[in-house]
Amino acid sequence: MRVQLNARNRAYQFQTEPGARILYGGLAAGIHLPYECGSGTCGTCKARLVAGEIDDLWPAAAGRKFLKQPGEFLMCQCVARSDCALEVANFVYPIDPGACTPAFGRGIVSSTKMLTHDVISFSVALDTPLDFDAGQFVVMQMPGVPGFRGYSMVNFERASQRLDFVVKKKPGGGASEWLFKGGADGQQVEFFGPLGAATFLPNLDKNILCIAGGSGIAGMMSILARAGEARYFDAYSGYVFFGVRTYRDIFYLDQLARLAREFPDKLKVTIALSDEDVPERALQEHPALKFDQGMVHEVAARHMQGQYQNVRAYLAGPPPCVDSAIRMLLLQAKLAAENIRYDKFS
Amino acid sequence: MSKRFVCLRNQIPANGMLECEAEGLKLLVANSGDRYFAYQAMCPHQDVPLCEGMYDGSVLTCHQHLWQWDIRTGAAIGLAEAPLESFSVQVEGDSIYVVAQGALKAAELFVGISAPSLAAIMALAKKEEFSAGSALYDFGDPSDDFFVLESGRVEFLIGRDERLSPAGFMLRKGEVFGWAALLENQPQRIARATCLEQSQLLRINGKQTLQVLENDPASGYLVMRRLSSLIARYLASSGSK
Repeated sequence: MRVQLNARNRAYQFQTEPGARILYGGLAAGIHLPYECGSGTCGTCKARLVAGEIDDLWPAAAGRKFLKQPGEFLMCQCVARSDCALEVANFVYPIDPGACTPAFGRGIVSSTKMLTHDVISFSVALDTPLDFDAGQFVVMQMPGVPGFRGYSMVNFERASQRLDFVVKKKPGGGASEWLFKGGADGQQVEFFGPLGAATFLPNLDKNILCIAGGSGIAGMMSILARAGEARYFDAYSGYVFFGVRTYRDIFYLDQLARLAREFPDKLKVTIALSDEDVPERALQEHPALKFDQGMVHEVAARHMQGQYQNVRAYLAGPPPCVDSAIRMLLLQAKLAAENIRYDKFS
Repeated sequence: MSKRFVCLRNQIPANGMLECEAEGLKLLVANSGDRYFAYQAMCPHQDVPLCEGMYDGSVLTCHQHLWQWDIRTGAAIGLAEAPLESFSVQVEGDSIYVVAQGALKAAELFVGISAPSLAAIMALAKKEEFSAGSALYDFGDPSDDFFVLESGRVEFLIGRDERLSPAGFMLRKGEVFGWAALLENQPQRIARATCLEQSQLLRINGKQTLQVLENDPASGYLVMRRLSSLIARYLASSGSK
């Protein structure tokens, strides 16, 4: 279908494949449509239908609470049934020439592995290699599970032939249950990406602060992989705060400890346990890491005091965790909003 | 809009904020030191209530996408792409009243210029009202005047003959268009402008405005800087925000 998009500054035209969501069609055409989660929760991709007909694939999407005017809809959940004209009340620009333009892709699930009692990791072997920036995510559709869900890549390499992910068990979450029930290896999944603006590039020229709760550590691992490979922490400081409930909920500690040992002067990794005191064995088992008790944003606030000069912060995790961290960074740390990066999806 | 009662002073926490309703109009009222400020209650980005955001006594942040404003002026800072509509506040005893500002005061193009120059430009402005569907100007028309949107909605078309394409739209109070009138060597309109709704506009002569600014170079410099960033927003890419 032909979609005409009227933005505040100009108009665009693009085609969508039958059944393809309007947001994905526009992004794939190189138009930087507004979005954040890409999966129906945040409401950022709202648009107004001016002419034509659309189908809403998920009328119960949480992001619909941001729709106020008649004719408004979420571009990530709607499909053009006829040629359409839409309006977006934002300035819309083409995707920057240097950025990775998102596209549809397919891959085969492999290497599913339980990392803790309720966290699973898996890989997707790709048909076609994918370029993405560290910190980005894809939206993925599992077989038999309706809708796309966002997952941050854990790995980083150019022209990647494999994407690694980590997922926390969510009772009632279709995609999560599909992964946890077993038998996912060998199955084909569809995805759209890469997406997301919380990216790290080694020309950043700033110290980096990562605050992650639970499976939000995924994108941080990608950022740390990219930074490590570029030997970024020879010159810049890295502060990583990883929050979980208890010691038995922690994963990726070996990888984090290896990075901390590789850059002992500049990279500090602190694990925050919200629901229990730090057990003695934690430090014995991981002497390269620091441990502290508290919510991850509180722990970060305690350890970061006086170290906010020239800092870019990356945040990920459950929305209350990200919100608390934003509040702390804006109000206490007085970080500028442009140096707080996150993509809220979950 | 006439003067409206909004709230009592003691309802606003020190260096805090509160959403109020004044005769059906929703407003955000904020305290900063010994002063009070009143703005539109909803974020101009996505209609999120600003009272749910963050405020430290000087900077207001919408929690949704971290758009920020200077509480003293309503000017956009950081990631914000639009200013807040401000209302002038009058404190009488314990009561806070507001009065709506004219579109020219809301125009980002003229924020910060000297009061005499603003008054001189205000004196040049003619208030005009257009019904839905009326054409403001067409391709090739002389570009003598520029416009400030007071209310309503204006859309633009560019192109030739049958190959017309939409080229954006204006919907916020204080938005300025037809700015070819403020440029050199741009004597003709390159777009067609149509009011899509019943719209109120200020029509201001470009040459006379430039004369006012020539007599006040400090203000003129500010306006030209703002005008160049305004034009860049229409031409340029998003940059690396």
